[in-house]
Amino acid sequence: MTLAVPFALLAAWELASWLGVLSPRYFPPPTVIAATLAQLLVEGALLSEALITLTRLAAAFVLAAAPAVALGLAMGLWRPVRGVVEPYIVMLYPLPKIALLPLLLILMGVGEKAFVVTGAITAFFQIVISTVGGVQSIDPRLIEVGRNYGAGGTALFRKIILPAALPAIFTGLRLGLGLALITVVAVEFVTAKNGLGHLVFRSWQMLLTPQMFAAFVLIGLIGLALTRGLRALQRRALAWKPEVGWL
Amino acid sequence: MRRPAARGWESAIAIGSPLLLLAAWEAASAVGLLRAQFFPRPTTIARHFGELLADGSLPRHAGTTLVRLAWAFLLAAVPGVAVGLAMGISRRVRDGLDPLFAVIYPIPSVLFLPLLSFVLKPADAALAVTGAITSFFLIAYTTMTGVQQIDRTVLEAATHFGARRGRLFIKVLLPGTLPFIFTGLRLGLGLALIVVIAVEMVSAQHGLGALLWLSWGLLKVEDMYAALAAIALLGGPLLWALALVRARLLPWLPDVADA
Repeated sequence: MTLAVPFALLAAWELASWLGVLSPRYFPPPTVIAATLAQLLVEGALLSEALITLTRLAAAFVLAAAPAVALGLAMGLWRPVRGVVEPYIVMLYPLPKIALLPLLLILMGVGEKAFVVTGAITAFFQIVISTVGGVQSIDPRLIEVGRNYGAGGTALFRKIILPAALPAIFTGLRLGLGLALITVVAVEFVTAKNGLGHLVFRSWQMLLTPQMFAAFVLIGLIGLALTRGLRALQRRALAWKPEVGWL
Repeated sequence: MRRPAARGWESAIAIGSPLLLLAAWEAASAVGLLRAQFFPRPTTIARHFGELLADGSLPRHAGTTLVRLAWAFLLAAVPGVAVGLAMGISRRVRDGLDPLFAVIYPIPSVLFLPLLSFVLKPADAALAVTGAITSFFLIAYTTMTGVQQIDRTVLEAATHFGARRGRLFIKVLLPGTLPFIFTGLRLGLGLALIVVIAVEMVSAQHGLGALLWLSWGLLKVEDMYAALAAIALLGGPLLWALALVRARLLPWLPDVADA
């Protein structure tokens, strides 16, 4: 992965900032940002905020993942379940889940629960949709062959349906995690009192731009690590289907 | 082939169960099971919605949001498709831009608002461009994938029959990529809506997101629910309109997505 273009841009930014072409107050040079990032990491403040964000993310994902996969499988396997649940999914899918935040804040008060649940809901929808798609796109011949060899309900599920749907489920989990991160950070930005998203907001309001950019970079690195890491994991775990796509 | 009776049941449940839930909500609010000051009856909400519609405030907020969304979508779609095509066609472009995109794409869009507010003075511009960013990457990548998945044999055949760059592009590349472009546009539109609403919640005075957030802050719950309903009603028709355009341009392809 050639890093020529990003490096060139950073160098240009550095130069522009020192020369004053880019206002250094609003766009501190990348070296200053890096130094601030290192300093804040060492001091520990940045790490504790990151930990808060990651905890919320983990909670949101864990909350959403199992029920979503279960529901997705149920919807994929049994038409009545899909018939009942699908209208809600179709209706709610275009709704920006963050718009539910005020409602959740009323329901649960201003606090961790509302933040985590908002993230969980976003992930939930993604995982359900991916899982249903995965089950529905199973090659019918695979099921036929299974039945021909005498596989009944549970065996069919364990040996054929689940493995065949696994790539799509895994992709859904991956996308869900990414969306949950985005949602949690967005929620922190909008309304929390701590976490990386809030740090960006607070630094913005106080015009502590090096700190703002440092938090920004950290969030980007976390997001990158998660997405790339999970893609590698998926390629490894589902080695029979290594094409994982760019997302 | 599903029996018509079974399909009838499905439609009945699809319409019936949300109605049932609304009825339960109405009853619960009316008898006080749900605190009416936090959960007003759906009929009250509907009536308030109508009032806000009539006095013009809801249409104004909706209009503001839609204008921002339109700008965000245009800023994402046009460059997105162009860059995506370039990245799909030219390996050099792709290798050059991919690292840059890969780093920026995972960043939650709303975080770009501060940066953009430094650069773009009119607040509205910053909001619209923030909405465009992640959509842009999404559309670019989807388009690029669309170019890459075109069957090489088709390209070869066309070249054998004498198609030069221009005709190759218009007659083979573009139609082959179009389904992916539309998928990207659909996802990009949804994403742009999410981000526009989110940034309106953070820092706008007008628009549905602003209405939602500000009315929550003042605990004017009826306004809040009206805003929520308006936002919910916004997404569907937009995606449906996009689907219509798609059906026109790609009549040979059945619509892929249910959601």
